[in-house]
Amino acid sequence: MADPGQALTSLRQQFEQELTGARTESDLRGVRDRYLARKGGLVSGLLKSLGSAPIEERPRLGQLANTLKAEIEAALTARLEAAAQARPPKGTVDVTLPGRQPVIGHRHPLSLLRERIEGIFTRFGFLVIEGPELEDDYHNFEALNMPPEHPARDMQDTLYLSSPVRSLAGTAATLLRTHTSGMQIRYMERNSPPVRLIAPGRVYRRDQFDLTHTPMFTQVEGLVVGEGVSLADLKGILTAFARELFGDARQVRLRPSFFPYTEPSAELDISCAACGGRGRLAPKPGMNPSGAAGLAAPNPGMDPSGAGGCPMCKGTGWIEVLGSGMVHPAVFEAVGYDPERFTGFAFGMGIERIALLKWGVEDIRLFYENDLRFLEQFRP
Amino acid sequence: MRIVHEWLSELVEIPGDIATVAAELGLRGFEVAAIETEPPGVIDFEITANRPDCLNHLGMAREASVIWNTPLKVTPPAVPLPTGDVTVEVDLRDADLCPRYCAQVFDVKVAPSPAWLSDRLQAAGVRPVNNIVDVTNYVMLEMGQPMHAFDLARLDGGRLVIRRALTGETLQTLDGVERRLDAEMLVIADASRATAVAGVMGGRDSEIDASTTRIVLESACFHPPAVRRGSKRLGLKTEASTRFERGADIDAPPAGIAHAGALFAQMSAGLPAGPLVDCYPSRPGERQVRLRLERIARLLGQAVPPGDVPRILRPLGFGVDGGDEEWQVTVPGFRVDVTREADLIEEVGRHFGFDRIPAAFPPLASPQPPPAAVLTRERLLRQALIASGFSEAMTFAFIEAAAARPFCPPGAEPALLANPLSEKYAVLRPSLLPGLVDACAHNRRRAQRDIRLFEIGSRFLPGTGEGRAAALAWCGAASGPHWSLEDRAVDFFDIKGVLERTCATFGIEFDTRPAERAYLAAGRAATLHVRSGSADTVLGVLGQLLPAVAEERGFPAGEEIYVAELDLSVLFDADAGEDLRAEPLPRYPSVVRDVSILVPEVLPAAAVRGTIRSSAPSTLISIVEFDRYTGKGVPEGQISLSVRLTFRGADRTLTDEDVQTAMDGILSALRETHGAVQR
Ligand SMILES: [Zn+2]
Repeated sequence: MADPGQALTSLRQQFEQELTGARTESDLRGVRDRYLARKGGLVSGLLKSLGSAPIEERPRLGQLANTLKAEIEAALTARLEAAAQARPPKGTVDVTLPGRQPVIGHRHPLSLLRERIEGIFTRFGFLVIEGPELEDDYHNFEALNMPPEHPARDMQDTLYLSSPVRSLAGTAATLLRTHTSGMQIRYMERNSPPVRLIAPGRVYRRDQFDLTHTPMFTQVEGLVVGEGVSLADLKGILTAFARELFGDARQVRLRPSFFPYTEPSAELDISCAACGGRGRLAPKPGMNPSGAAGLAAPNPGMDPSGAGGCPMCKGTGWIEVLGSGMVHPAVFEAVGYDPERFTGFAFGMGIERIALLKWGVEDIRLFYENDLRFLEQFRP
Repeated sequence: MRIVHEWLSELVEIPGDIATVAAELGLRGFEVAAIETEPPGVIDFEITANRPDCLNHLGMAREASVIWNTPLKVTPPAVPLPTGDVTVEVDLRDADLCPRYCAQVFDVKVAPSPAWLSDRLQAAGVRPVNNIVDVTNYVMLEMGQPMHAFDLARLDGGRLVIRRALTGETLQTLDGVERRLDAEMLVIADASRATAVAGVMGGRDSEIDASTTRIVLESACFHPPAVRRGSKRLGLKTEASTRFERGADIDAPPAGIAHAGALFAQMSAGLPAGPLVDCYPSRPGERQVRLRLERIARLLGQAVPPGDVPRILRPLGFGVDGGDEEWQVTVPGFRVDVTREADLIEEVGRHFGFDRIPAAFPPLASPQPPPAAVLTRERLLRQALIASGFSEAMTFAFIEAAAARPFCPPGAEPALLANPLSEKYAVLRPSLLPGLVDACAHNRRRAQRDIRLFEIGSRFLPGTGEGRAAALAWCGAASGPHWSLEDRAVDFFDIKGVLERTCATFGIEFDTRPAERAYLAAGRAATLHVRSGSADTVLGVLGQLLPAVAEERGFPAGEEIYVAELDLSVLFDADAGEDLRAEPLPRYPSVVRDVSILVPEVLPAAAVRGTIRSSAPSTLISIVEFDRYTGKGVPEGQISLSVRLTFRGADRTLTDEDVQTAMDGILSALRETHGAVQR
């Protein structure tokens, strides 16, 4: 027969261990049943065993046993109450499970960008006009100072219709417009200056597919006509536009160019974001211990060497964004404006090209594949 | 145009290195495609179509001369005297296509070119042939005049006839290809046949070779459209045609021959056998253009010092007369692009420097009109469709004929392109749906299952022509995936619901009627109609895409695609617009009654609704079908249709009796009209 006093001590130790080990409410209830059950409980078993102790020891042992029982009861009650309080309220949900998302579609990036561009020019006081995608030769070429056989027609290789189709403007169209300029002609035919508008829309050219060409693309053209409108105004409007779209840090320059419907003509370039306009990428840290990194002078033109040249701008430090110029007097004559009295400027940009530059899209064809994995990267 | 740095430096003094030359010319309108720094140094410029005068080194030297304020280093060629009086007879028949034709006979010794010459040609990207041909190319690259050498011994009759080609006439060109000519092309012929396509390429028969001893050197000015037509029709683009079709210098032909003659003599390659023949039937007067200082400032938005005008224009070859306010400018023959004042202002402006033009903002004199309603409406439509879970697609306006055909009205063919990129893009789309179906198939092949796409764009219907439309395509699940939901595939009523919701955005309700379309599954196709007054217009089409059409476009068999297409002119015409008057809120409560009836399965719900509406008093404000049941307790061929009716009085609270009377009337009408039995 074990010493009852020792049995008391080891039962207390055993209980304390089990209580610590109990994690859940049902663990606790198990401990309670094992120790405190009226029948077969360890505590009542202990009490019973006291009968075998020497009689003079019994009152003291009995007192100790009852104290132990009270302690066990109190400890369990405290733990069970704490557990009950920690128990989640009725109807508790697992908040970490995913929610039921309403299905929302995504805007096409070109439509998103077009709206953004329209928004900028609308704030600059421009009217947005739309027109037919099918055109006649007069509105697409002749009225724009490109008579038949004009070499500049080669710049815009045209898709022709086998037989005339009625256009949205109600005319017999013979070709797919190569630019949205036809709408500007129609507008000027019907309205007197001042004119301040943009004409966004799809245009078509017989270009083979590659990373930067598709035979259909989206254009935004603009036109401002009035008394005293100058190249300085063109520069002001387009600089403000480019900075708003690409960021204030960008440098903007006009570079002489050629379009048959403008004279003078200019390309608008913005400084390259990849190289900060330097034309070459800054050497990686640690590559150039002499400390020459960052000392590269701004490149005025072209970096002749391929090595270290910025691939984004081909080493020039500049990226071409759009074409522009002062409206050719022959265009004014075609629509009945007096070129002595009125001057104006025009510009045109491909939204795809802007999107490639703005979002770093590497292949223009992605815009027309409509792959949801691509579309869903853009905002609804 | 490959400009050789060393060659350019010979024509004008340039202080900077090759990179500086490229950068400075680049800022004046000559875009730099590439730079080769290895001696002799080459800059490849992209010359715009208006500047054929810069397709040679002298032209670029003039530009450099303005930039660096250094004179041209050009001396007149030392032309040798003719050794005799041998000439070739030139018969200029079509002077409209050839305003000037110069020819001179030379006695030559054909040999390889000296190294300096062939090196220069190679640097400029032209293959050396022999000393005679090389000199003609050299002159072209230096001062811009294309020339051609004929072997005089091989010209029948020893004469040259400049005439339109005869229909059916053929010529084997220098590249060995037998070419069929037509009457739109200008040729150089001998007494019997064509021997060169004017301004494009010479013929093999009169080609000079090692045995040649006497040549005719041609230096002419051809009409640009004539050369352009010839080059286009033959599909033959040459150094000569590129220059002529952009406009040649009427003054250059004699200078070209003089320059070549001097080079022949210098190289001991040949001497003139007789005098120059110059056929120049009608000399144009000098081209003069007025230039006003005030106009420069007005167009550029920046005043230019008067001294800048002669400083810039004279080195470019223009004659400048006049004071400080206005000039009479004489345009040199090589500046075919300059015809009016704006052209001169461009010359002044680009050399003055676009970087010196300030940035201004044109004032706005009056408010703009509001944007066109169609733009606002398309934007609203786009928002509504995106909110319905559809992503915006953009597809091509030209498609395969086979893809288009099912979407054309019976018997009609899609509009054909005359010069499509390929068969894949041969016709204008008669509907936006083929493109959307292809986009669905593209996504489906890339393991996307649940696809909702829409497009707003133009379609081109045979007959009516261009019109605006919106199309939808939906396949896969009817709702977003979620752990708590059982997946249900999209069906007819999902896409119909989207159309109902979308049209409600514009305040439009449509009628739906069963229809047949070649591209839609039978029994699951409908047309949507809007009514205004007595007019009934088709708003659009809706249904399940015919499985055969879907599979044809690469879609897996057994999966359903639902599609719809709306005519936007109809939708927007029916749009109630934003001018609405707010209704006061109802003052009396409404009463709801549900009723279930047994009706034949084939009876359209719209018929039941119509009967209810026509038999109910005006207090009936809404009818909603909320259950359609077949199966246990419903006889074969019948359905149980449950409808929720809502009544409300405009001027009082309805009593139970009011509603019961109305219900009795409705039920008896349903019984009489459709044999409907209340369950
Ligand atoms: Zn860069």
